[in-house]
Amino acid sequence: MSDKTNKKYLKKSEIITFGIGLFGVALMTGWMPDYTATFFADFAFKGKGFDSVVMGNAISMVFLIAGFIGAVCELVIGYLVDNTRTKFGKVMPWVGFGVVPLAVISMLVFVAPNTNSQTLAIIWMFVVYSLYTAFSCAVESPANCYGSLCSPNPSERSSAISIASFLRSVGQSGGMVVILVVGLIMKAVMGQQQFQNAEGQGLDLVISTAVCALGLILFTMIFFANNKENIPFTQEKVSLKDAVKVVFAHKNLLMVSLTKLFGFGRGVYGTVSLYIAIYLLGSKDLKLALLLPMGIGTAVGTLLVNLVLKKFSTKQTFILFCVYGASSLSILFLVSRGIGFNDGLIIPFLILNFFCGLQHGNTNVTPNIMIADCVDEIEYKTGKRQEGLAYAGYGLFSKIASAFTKGLGPWLLYTWSGYAVSTDANIAYAAQTDSALNKMLMIYTIIPAVFVILQGVPILFYDMVGEKKENITKALMERREAANKTGEEA
Amino acid sequence: MENNKKPFSLKVYAVALFVAIAVLLSVIVALTFKSKYVAFHPDEVARTYADTIVQTGDGYNAYKVSLLSLNEKYGDFIRQQYMYPVIYREAGYKPGDDTKDLKGYNDESYMGEKSKNDNGALQGQVIDTMYDYYVALAASGWDDYDRIFTSYFDKLVEVRKEVFGDDYITDEIMFTALESNVSTYGKTLTGTVDEFDENTGEQISFKSTGAYQTAYGEDYKFTASVKSENDISLDSYKAALDSGYLELVGTTADSIEEVKSYTVEVKDQNNNAVTSADIVVVRIGSSWYVDNSATDTSSLYGFYK
Repeated sequence: MSDKTNKKYLKKSEIITFGIGLFGVALMTGWMPDYTATFFADFAFKGKGFDSVVMGNAISMVFLIAGFIGAVCELVIGYLVDNTRTKFGKVMPWVGFGVVPLAVISMLVFVAPNTNSQTLAIIWMFVVYSLYTAFSCAVESPANCYGSLCSPNPSERSSAISIASFLRSVGQSGGMVVILVVGLIMKAVMGQQQFQNAEGQGLDLVISTAVCALGLILFTMIFFANNKENIPFTQEKVSLKDAVKVVFAHKNLLMVSLTKLFGFGRGVYGTVSLYIAIYLLGSKDLKLALLLPMGIGTAVGTLLVNLVLKKFSTKQTFILFCVYGASSLSILFLVSRGIGFNDGLIIPFLILNFFCGLQHGNTNVTPNIMIADCVDEIEYKTGKRQEGLAYAGYGLFSKIASAFTKGLGPWLLYTWSGYAVSTDANIAYAAQTDSALNKMLMIYTIIPAVFVILQGVPILFYDMVGEKKENITKALMERREAANKTGEEA
Repeated sequence: MENNKKPFSLKVYAVALFVAIAVLLSVIVALTFKSKYVAFHPDEVARTYADTIVQTGDGYNAYKVSLLSLNEKYGDFIRQQYMYPVIYREAGYKPGDDTKDLKGYNDESYMGEKSKNDNGALQGQVIDTMYDYYVALAASGWDDYDRIFTSYFDKLVEVRKEVFGDDYITDEIMFTALESNVSTYGKTLTGTVDEFDENTGEQISFKSTGAYQTAYGEDYKFTASVKSENDISLDSYKAALDSGYLELVGTTADSIEEVKSYTVEVKDQNNNAVTSADIVVVRIGSSWYVDNSATDTSSLYGFYK
């Protein structure tokens, strides 16, 4: 690469604060879905005597509708971002100012109205969670977009995205730590039983949400105040028709987005993890122990990808990690079958779980770098820089894939595996047949492995790498320099 | 003309926004806590206590808003006062002793073959056997909790030994048996419905008619609400306090800053009063607790007969 393309645009502190910003956003968006579900189901209208079946169905609908709203919002926000022209840039205002309504609406999700009308309660859940979904899209998508605007230098940009992705993946689990600490403080201040009574009203969730919302503001403000966009936006306005075209008509961007759809079944292991802890490891308390090595593996994998990217192209890295991921899951399956479901399996299972987690670093980082490269390619071809829509397209496919995962996981576990439910009031979990246990193991290992391979298939058609990528980067820099000179002369 | 307009400072905006949101979130949390946290509302504490009892005949869980739960978790209170004396009987346990170095019947060396190999069936048999005993003890009221806990756990040890043939017993076994009996008793009052697992379609609960349904109709609904506040003087209340009881729950008369008495009335779905009880609540610090030693809840049990 030439000296021009090797020029550094980011201060070290900006790389860190980019990650801090994504950490803050992930702290909030990682906290909300699961804890909102439990708040709506168990605490929001406790003691109101509402029909539990109706409420259960309504809550499922709330999340389904929110999924659709989220998908639409991804496109709308992407379109709006690409039409934003301010002195702060095109994505930073969305992050810096959008966090205010996001923090407030997140808090309001956990402040249920005191109503005795079930209809009103259901309407409130739909409205407040849909608003949350819309505002979270308005902040999260632009925050992710910053990666492609932080530097014109692809290498520097990749490093920044890797570090930020690492901090984002840590932030996604931050809520679990927040609720743990909040619980400990409440116990110390209120005493054990009074804490339990407050917990019974969901008040620990209310406080934890406030802490996450404050964390969102603190960390995104650090990002907002310290970082600036280093790629000038192009002046052309984007029409809605163009917006949809961007997502579907650019081959490389479409291929990156399709990885989500092709690999949607990767996440079914989450559905079965509780049962793996119970039946294969012996206790449901081991669920955290089960997911922790995988979480650490994911964090390490996120950093590892950065090293691999220095030797290989994004395309090679992605495919390499797909092959590795499928292999590690297959080895976990074979080792588990070999040892059998007994105490001797616990340690090897947890160790192998760490190695299975490494592959997730790839899916956290590499597609984001690829999208940034696709944005360059689209700008090179069309003269328009459209980060917002590029990331929106990826987000749209992510949300559709997530909906499929949520449908497939329970079907595999409760129908396909032949899982037996306990009918004895004194026994929480019924004994399972060997066939059911083997199928549970497959849901955790082999089935995700197949989808890990499948997600690599679209990338075989991705070609924004090597000489092509280098030439486009160089051409864009020359184009921008020329534009600057023209601007100065004018 | 000179432009005096100050440029927008991102740092000032960031700090100001953080402070503003911190204040806003604090206010929202404080208001939510104040409105939701039962212990801040004396009338709601009294109502909750009566409501828990009347809905399922559950005096056991009602104590969670009483003085028994003042200084420690209600479950820990039961462990220390009633379970550990049974488990560590041979070691001479006294409430408050550290059990770390004590050997009790919860030691695995007391487990016989049946305990080691039980898949839940024998434990279920123990629970079923204990049920009639529980009903005889507690169906008419939980005000004398001391008698209920003491008698129930003594009997449980006896029944378990008959079924399993060993002395092994743990606090978990004790809680499981008692809470299962409390729950089953509640269902005999409320009735049950056919329930199917939503994933497998398997029936997990069968329809039965509860005693409340027999008395007030299948779609009965009880609503407990505070009917009136009664006069009660703090001085006369304190004068009548049992110092031994206060010591047991870990407080003193001086810590009690306020006392109130409420009549909680229970109405059925036709708005007819079915029963009522006077509940005494006291304020210690900023929280209110039911003084179960000064409250008679017998009218909340058996009113449907």
